Amino acid sequence: MKDLKHLIYFESLLQEANNDLVREAQSRGKLAVGSVCSQLPEPLLNLPGCFSVRLRAPRTGSIEMGTYYMSSLICECCRAWLERALEGGFEFLDCIIAPDTCAQMNRSVENIEHLNLCSKGHFFVSYCDVPMKADDTALRHYVRQMRTHVLEPLHENLGVDISDEALRKAVEEQNEISRLLTDLGEFRKEKEPKITGYEFAVLCLATYCCPKNMLIDKLKETLEEVKQREPDRDKYRVRVLMAGSEIDDPEIIRIAEEVGALVVADRYCFGSFPGRQVISLNDDEDVLLQICRWYMENGQCPRFMNTDKINERHAYVDKLAMEFSADGIIYQQMKFCDYWGYERALAGHVLREEYDYPVLTVDRPYVVSNSGQLRTRFQAFVESLEIKKINKERGAANE
Amino acid sequence: MSKELGKDRLGKFYSGKKAKKRREWRGLKDTWYAYTQWLSLWKTLIKFMIKPNNLKGFFRYRWMLNYLAVPDFFDRHTEGMRGTQLRLAYTGIGLIVKDMCNMLDDIFRADPEIGNDKEFNEKIVIFDENMMSTLMGGFPNLRWLSVEVPSVYTSAMMNQKGVEYYIDVTEEYGVPGDVCPMPAAELGVSLAGDFPLIGKCAVQCNTTCDGSLMGNGIEARQFKIPTFQLAVPIRHQQESVHEYAAEEIMNAIHFIEENTGEKFDWNYFFDCMKRFNKETEHVLEWFDINKTQYPQVISDNLALYRYGVYQAAGGRNEVFLKTDEKITELAEKAYKSKEPIVKEVRHRAITWGVQAAYYTAFPIWLQNCWGVLPLLDMLTTVSTKTINTDDEEEALMDLAHLYENMIMRNRSNGGYEVGVEELWRYCESFNADMVIMYEHIGCKSMTGYHGLFEEEARKRGIHLVWVTHELMKPADASRRDMRTQVNRYMRTVLHEEPLDPSLEDFEDDKCW
Repeated sequence: MKDLKHLIYFESLLQEANNDLVREAQSRGKLAVGSVCSQLPEPLLNLPGCFSVRLRAPRTGSIEMGTYYMSSLICECCRAWLERALEGGFEFLDCIIAPDTCAQMNRSVENIEHLNLCSKGHFFVSYCDVPMKADDTALRHYVRQMRTHVLEPLHENLGVDISDEALRKAVEEQNEISRLLTDLGEFRKEKEPKITGYEFAVLCLATYCCPKNMLIDKLKETLEEVKQREPDRDKYRVRVLMAGSEIDDPEIIRIAEEVGALVVADRYCFGSFPGRQVISLNDDEDVLLQICRWYMENGQCPRFMNTDKINERHAYVDKLAMEFSADGIIYQQMKFCDYWGYERALAGHVLREEYDYPVLTVDRPYVVSNSGQLRTRFQAFVESLEIKKINKERGAANE
Repeated sequence: MSKELGKDRLGKFYSGKKAKKRREWRGLKDTWYAYTQWLSLWKTLIKFMIKPNNLKGFFRYRWMLNYLAVPDFFDRHTEGMRGTQLRLAYTGIGLIVKDMCNMLDDIFRADPEIGNDKEFNEKIVIFDENMMSTLMGGFPNLRWLSVEVPSVYTSAMMNQKGVEYYIDVTEEYGVPGDVCPMPAAELGVSLAGDFPLIGKCAVQCNTTCDGSLMGNGIEARQFKIPTFQLAVPIRHQQESVHEYAAEEIMNAIHFIEENTGEKFDWNYFFDCMKRFNKETEHVLEWFDINKTQYPQVISDNLALYRYGVYQAAGGRNEVFLKTDEKITELAEKAYKSKEPIVKEVRHRAITWGVQAAYYTAFPIWLQNCWGVLPLLDMLTTVSTKTINTDDEEEALMDLAHLYENMIMRNRSNGGYEVGVEELWRYCESFNADMVIMYEHIGCKSMTGYHGLFEEEARKRGIHLVWVTHELMKPADASRRDMRTQVNRYMRTVLHEEPLDPSLEDFEDDKCW
């Protein structure tokens, strides 16, 4: 396929946490709100006058200092954040809002705070407790926490408007991005998709790391471009769904596609499922309640511990795999992640044994670009899927 | 062979095999006491084993083999002790063994594969291992049981390699080897079909760590009984979370009521909590004694006993309170007579982080080998808040606080303030100059503070000795490796010589 006109632009935005758009927005007086987890409703961090930046550490090399502070037994992603902060890479942040979701993320942020690695005078860190179950009790807690530990600190420390109107505006802005990404993502359902998994991952990831309103024009242009695009014929050998823990570097998708596995659906943290769907608000209920309910009901993080939610996660992946005609599922997990370590094992069994999908489960380092091991695993999976296809065709022919 | 404290060379008892060469001579009086207690222990075990259900259970469940090491467990945890220390050990830990036997009695009685007492089974509520049983104080007609405690937790304490097989099962299932071995072992027991499938319903909890709650999710699929997941707030220091914590406790109570047909009895609950509060008073008294020059209830005599009282007994059992009273009496008497624990106290230490289940006798080794007194263990520093015993609403809020501050999770969750900052306050109040910092390989919560611990300890002039272990997996860091880390610090940093050189290095990889 012909390269997308703005792909390099979007890729360049992913090279730094403090990228061109972040700098431009800050030069206009906007405040950068750092966040670390998908369980923090994004619209709350994108109120008028501020924008959210999910912490990432692109182009990570050595993480020795991060390892000294957090030991070598902690998730590399969390160590890489700390390393980046020690290098001064998060100095631009005006605050960090950190839900106490994963202990390792939390420790990373606590290290950043106690080592005073963000030096703006008004900089603050707010920690909040987010629900581990999806029920009415949890929802009340969620709303209370978001009000007390997100909205109020933003208002009190940075003067951010936290009115219902401001919340509605932030939701609408996010919805516009979600509509564009959903439209772009729909092309992945086609037999010969007009957009690759890598390209989609780059576009989607950018929306988590940049001021959203500054991306809309280029996303619209890209959507129009994709509509007219001629797809590659027979370039990919199989279609896969990528699931699992945080992917904040699309290189892993590129590796999979280089060996012939087109990534047609993205159910991972920083992906579009869930997170880039329209949030519908009614006029009757409290806006914050509606936003929190959306995130609680749609959340697919393995941190949700009740049995219904555990089963729902597998059904959700099955639904996506069917919609996007995936031949197989790749469950990847960042090494040392407890949540995904267990979820990957369970989901591997359930989706194989109860849903009858071929599944590859693999753990990986934070930096994957040079991972020959990962490439080999993907390659072997592609071949196994092809063999299954051949056997299936032969079986059908014999019948 | 001597009755004098610290005179024996204790390392010579290690033969490199499962059991020690012989039992210790402690002088006539103490040896006689230890011998009678040893006989009493055998009596308890024989009484347990002659019951047909228990005998069947012994042959049905692989983990039951670990309990062959109970007598050796006692020898390990009384090593070098004389006088009051010896009596404290047998009094406290002895009761835990009796309580465990009762629990196993009930488990096998209800087990469909063994006793199959269906009527009794209807009265059982299964709790997750790490979850304290206190709320069962409102259900006088129900029996609280935990199948994970005997199969995993105490198994690993009795026999250092007792749960390795189950960890392998979990890894074979696909869970990575870098998660905490405890939930991994629990899941392994479940996957291997080695949990007695008993109970009318179950309550699990997001205690301790991310791995623990994830393992529970898979286990719940195997239990095949209605299971409630109690989500206790993680950021438990914040005022804004307590209301939710109380609502969740109430949800758990409703769940038990719905599934068992029993009603929560507040009066009975208040009676239990009165007992629980008295137990807390005793603990505070022990702490006060430990802050002085003549500490008494320290090391495992404090830690192992306290885990049992706090988590499992939950104020429901009068015997525990009576034992507390006895311990206080012994400790006060010893304090007044200025009875020493070791022949020379070199350092007063706090042990922080979670201790290795496969080496619970490590603090005793610290005492005997280097004269380091482990005054307080992190897992003992749980809530000492009194539970309201006349107002239901207040009591519920107190209960919520208690659950938020359950063992281990009150430090591993909740942030820097409770994980790091409070350690220095304990050092100050207990006049400790040393911290034995357990670095549990699989525990991401505590290791995430590694550098901050180092820097803060340096600032305060406290000796911070890292001791790496893997909780239930000695293959990753053996008992000997743990000792070597301390030995190196003592020799290279402090330039000290051991009190008992025979304990500095010895072979115990094959011991129970």
